[in-house]
Amino acid sequence: MKKCKFFVAFLMGKLSLVAIKILSRFVKKEGTTLPGNIVLKICPEFLKYIGKPSRMIAVTGTNGKTTTNNMIADVLSMNGYKVLSNRAGGNIAAGIATCLLRGVDLLNRSRYDVAALEIDERSSKRIYPYVQPDFIVCSNLSRDSCKRNAHPQYIFDFIDQNLPDRSVLILNADDLISSRLKKENARVYYAIDRQESDKTEPFNIINDVRICPNCQEKLVFDYVRYNHIGHAHCPNCGLESPKPDFHVTSIDETAKQITVSEKGEMQTYPLVFDSIFNIYNEISAITALRSFGLGHKQIADALKKVSVVGSRFSQDEVKGIRIISTMTKGWIAPSCSVAFDFVANFPGEKEIVVMIEDTDDNIQSSENLCYIYDTDFEFLNKPDIRHITVCGIRAKDYLLRMLLAGIPREKISCVREIPEIAGTLTVEKGVDFHIIYDLHQMEAFHQIRNLVIEKIKQEG
Amino acid sequence: MKVEVLFSEACNLYGDLFNMNYLAASVPEAEFIYTGFNDVPAFAGEKVDFIYLGPMTERDQETVISRLKPYRERIIELIEQDVVFLCTGNAFEVFGSYIETDEKRRIDCLGIYEGYAVRRLMNRHNSLFLGTFKDAGQNSREIIGFKSQFTHTYTDNRKGYVFAKTRGYGINPDSEFEGIRMHNFFGTYLIGPILIMNPYFAKYLLSLAGVAEPKLAFEKEAFEAYEVRQKEFHDPKRSFDQ
Repeated sequence: MKKCKFFVAFLMGKLSLVAIKILSRFVKKEGTTLPGNIVLKICPEFLKYIGKPSRMIAVTGTNGKTTTNNMIADVLSMNGYKVLSNRAGGNIAAGIATCLLRGVDLLNRSRYDVAALEIDERSSKRIYPYVQPDFIVCSNLSRDSCKRNAHPQYIFDFIDQNLPDRSVLILNADDLISSRLKKENARVYYAIDRQESDKTEPFNIINDVRICPNCQEKLVFDYVRYNHIGHAHCPNCGLESPKPDFHVTSIDETAKQITVSEKGEMQTYPLVFDSIFNIYNEISAITALRSFGLGHKQIADALKKVSVVGSRFSQDEVKGIRIISTMTKGWIAPSCSVAFDFVANFPGEKEIVVMIEDTDDNIQSSENLCYIYDTDFEFLNKPDIRHITVCGIRAKDYLLRMLLAGIPREKISCVREIPEIAGTLTVEKGVDFHIIYDLHQMEAFHQIRNLVIEKIKQEG
Repeated sequence: MKVEVLFSEACNLYGDLFNMNYLAASVPEAEFIYTGFNDVPAFAGEKVDFIYLGPMTERDQETVISRLKPYRERIIELIEQDVVFLCTGNAFEVFGSYIETDEKRRIDCLGIYEGYAVRRLMNRHNSLFLGTFKDAGQNSREIIGFKSQFTHTYTDNRKGYVFAKTRGYGINPDSEFEGIRMHNFFGTYLIGPILIMNPYFAKYLLSLAGVAEPKLAFEKEAFEAYEVRQKEFHDPKRSFDQ
């Protein structure tokens, strides 16, 4: 009976793929998870029966999933593998079902050598019983939307309880949450060695591993990079961050390369990305690909050709004045703190416009702003930040938060509508403009950017 | 005013701990004691005026229960002495009878009030809340807030609630009343910057803790932000389910 359901679902799914292909000639947007939704509705165990490539790598975790998975897929493709990836689709069960359905012929035989799948953490329960990757990368676990993901321990349990026994885990040794996933599984750890900029005392509001998970003693951080990411040990019971099998020993930004120690042997790879967060993505991809069986040279040569898509910041220049735009994920405190840290440490005098609220939520409901009290607005309290304009329906909430961060009142302008921003800005040679915006509010961002450009053109 | 913040190394979800920063900014002369899991609570040996416990993971609830159990009688004594307790999010559940898990396991709590919480990890409840409370002068004031939780508490809280519901949900989906109140013990499912978002409530708690004519940090700006939000919460077109 179950097989029967599968064949009906399979047929309907394939027909929907054809229909979408035809429709996509007329409508730009592709219904990427629609076939998956259809097949799972008809046959909830569809993922069990659908044909899969003989080898599979999956990437999960709070941040960096898409970047890491795309890098893995690109490197494998450049090395001659036929790679099935959900890069254009969803990462929940329906997205995975759509991706696998696309990857099989009419006899349900996979047409690919390997699958590189990004998997949503909360979908673990629906996916892993049927899709059992050879390798699963978990990038990190940190605070996310409280409405969906509650807290990292909740997501840890979700993944931990559902990881397949057979999967080799590729884990971040610098993350004392995700590195403790399913201890009985085979595992390979990666890390980045201590950097000059690292600190020894946690400095963010959020640190979800302040105490030892075994004995509740306060942990000692040998170094901390951000939030709970770093190397720690417990002075009471001896628990410590795992020893990495692959670790970045040096980052050479001039030569654009990183040196990786692999069981004591040093190898160099191109530095694909600019920030420490993305170097974590790169070392996790390298670790997964080496574990998969690719040689160092195969990976390094391919990484030279990997294109960097979607940087978190962009830069324009108008009349000699720079406009630096930094994207963040509103709702997500660690992401906002990273953006604030980046802007605050950007060299030079600056004038900042902040609009990170969820406009849609504020129109239909009223945005839950708990996260702004987990976000380090304190980073913006710096002498070289001359002025901050905060904009939006929630501007008064942000103003209050900034005042509590110690930012002087006279440095902050608070406006509700975007056009009002123009009246708050002062154009001055040698002072950069920074715009911090939410990735879901692109329209608002473009309006603000155009307004800043116009202001400089008029007064610069 | 002496404030004891319990287990802030773990009970710090959803930005709630910043409520204490706000109290510190509002009452600069106040003394704050941060008590860790492996410390003896200050309230065990001395009188404190204000005790705060913030939201925590489900696993940490069990640790908190084990750490507070030896002081159950002392906590009852302090509640009867009108010491202010503020417990936000799932923190107040540890003072109830028990928590029922998804697997129907019962986690025994401190048993200081009669009532139990039912936890469903696959069913997160997200909503807004608008309600009222009476301040020190018996004026009815409005409270605004957010809920994001896996649990609901079942008890008859009609005689001991924190807020009367205007919109949103009470202590459970069928209740008209939010939270548990015993003397000056305030246990509420509202999370986040509850004191920062609600200047009337912050002033009320400070007055109960012995601060004469409390003045809040950035009081003008706090009231302005409160009024914007309050107006939104009265808009019938706004959804309270999130």
